[in-house]
Parts: sequence; C-alpha cells; structure tokens
Amino acid sequence: MQSKSRYRPIKIGDWIIVLLSLSAIFFIPNYKGEKIRIIVDNEREFIYPLYENRELEIVGRIGTTTIVIENGKVSITDAPCPLKLCMRKGWISKKGEQIICVPNRILIKIEGEYLDAITE
Amino acid sequence: MQLQNRTAYISLFTAAAISLFVIETFIPRPVPGIRLGLANIFILLVLVLFGFKEAMMVGMFKVIAGNLLIGRLLTPSFIFSISGTIMSVVVMYLAEKYGKKISFVGISILGAEAHTTTQVLLASRLFLGNSSFLYLLSPFVILSLITGSITGVTAYWLYLMVERRINFA
Repeated sequence: MQSKSRYRPIKIGDWIIVLLSLSAIFFIPNYKGEKIRIIVDNEREFIYPLYENRELEIVGRIGTTTIVIENGKVSITDAPCPLKLCMRKGWISKKGEQIICVPNRILIKIEGEYLDAITE
Repeated sequence: MQLQNRTAYISLFTAAAISLFVIETFIPRPVPGIRLGLANIFILLVLVLFGFKEAMMVGMFKVIAGNLLIGRLLTPSFIFSISGTIMSVVVMYLAEKYGKKISFVGISILGAEAHTTTQVLLASRLFLGNSSFLYLLSPFVILSLITGSITGVTAYWLYLMVERRINFA
C-alpha cells in the first residue's frame, strides 16, 4: 500500500468546495407565494392575486365552497362536503401549499409569479 | 499489505459502517430525510486506504445489511438509500483520484452532497413527477456541507490512527 500521509485534514481545495457549497444559499428559493390557482373539476381554472382580500364562492360538483383570501393567506371557510377536511386544513400561505376538497373537486394551490386575475 | 490483513480490515470497517447506519436511526430526527451519514466515515476511510472497489463493496453491504436490520429492505426509501450511496461513492472516488488539492473534508462534503442531490432528483423525477421537490435542493446542499464536514473530520482522525496501525501490522 502506498503511503498517503501527505493527507492533511483541510487543503485549499476543501475551502473552495466549502465556498461553492455555501453559494447554494443564494439559490434558496423564495417560498413566498404570489397568486393562487383554483382548479374546479379539472376543467375550470381561476387565478387570483394572494395579496388582495376577497371572498370567493366557487360552485363545484356537490355545492358551493366559500374561499377567503385575506392578508396573503387562503382558507376554505365553508364547504358542502361531509367531512370538512378542507376547512380543517386551515390557512395556507406558502408557495406550493395546497387545499384539496375531493367531494367538491376543488384544488387550491399557491404559486409563484404574479399574474392578474384571469378567469378561464 | 497481505491479503489476510486486508480482508480483516475491510470486514471490520464494513461491520462498523453497518453498526453506525443502524445506530443512526435511533437518533431522533426533527425533519425526516436528514441524517448525519456517519457510515460514510468508514466508506471514506476504506476508499482512501484500499480503493474504489472495496469502498463500493462496503457501501453496498451497508445499504443492504443496514436496511435489512432496520426493516426497510426493498421499500421505496431503500431505492433512495442505495442510489444515494452509489452516487456518493462514485463522486468521492473521482474527488479522491483527480482532486490533488482536496483532502478528507472536501471529499466527504462532496460525497454527502452527491448523496442528497441524487435523492432529491430521484424524488422529484421518479416518484412525484413534479419539480416541487427541487425547492429542497439548496437547503439540503447547505445541510450536507455541515454533516459532510463532521464526517470528514472524523474520517481524518480515524485515518491517522488506523494508518499507523496498518503500517506497523
């Protein structure tokens, strides 16, 4: 076996690796959401800005779901479904978070870039 | 070094890697998916002392026997475990062979980062089919930097002790 006692614990290359890895800090994504997308029954889609307070009433498959957008947070406050799981989910505010109401076929998710309210 | 001695040391390090892998699962984790990667200490040690083939062997034994012991063999998390280990050994080997100015800490950090990056990419491509898991990539790279440094320093410390003994043996 060749002797490798030339190994020191930290060499110049290690510092470069540490610095390169630390630069990943700059790539930590912005978790702040900017708009919400509501998909109903997989065919109707609504997009609203997150920072405008409003109350929406979306008619899904079994009834009307009330969605409240308030100070950058979204919640379902009233739902026709039997278990009310979507209401128990509470308020969501971060990018990528979702509220799903299966009986009423409603999916709310928070997304990144801002788009004006579009109704498709 | 004679073959006998070599086999004995590799088996010893394999056993140590498996033990650390299992013991590590006893440590409570605040966030799932984050481990210290203590078994990597011995994989790195074997890589430096003996070479790529032996290190890959220790890694495979660690993954298969370790996951068997904690009851995760052939579960979805086992796929993450084995692919992460393979990538980490390959990256550590390349760093050890071609990085003349890289030492234990750097190799260990690169190995830890290869491990987590493989797992995040796998999770986002294979299992979920969406890219939301990629948001985890940069925080995980920072975490691997910390855990990789810890295992790298430990591996260097062990290397100093072991090398002296092996040379005198």
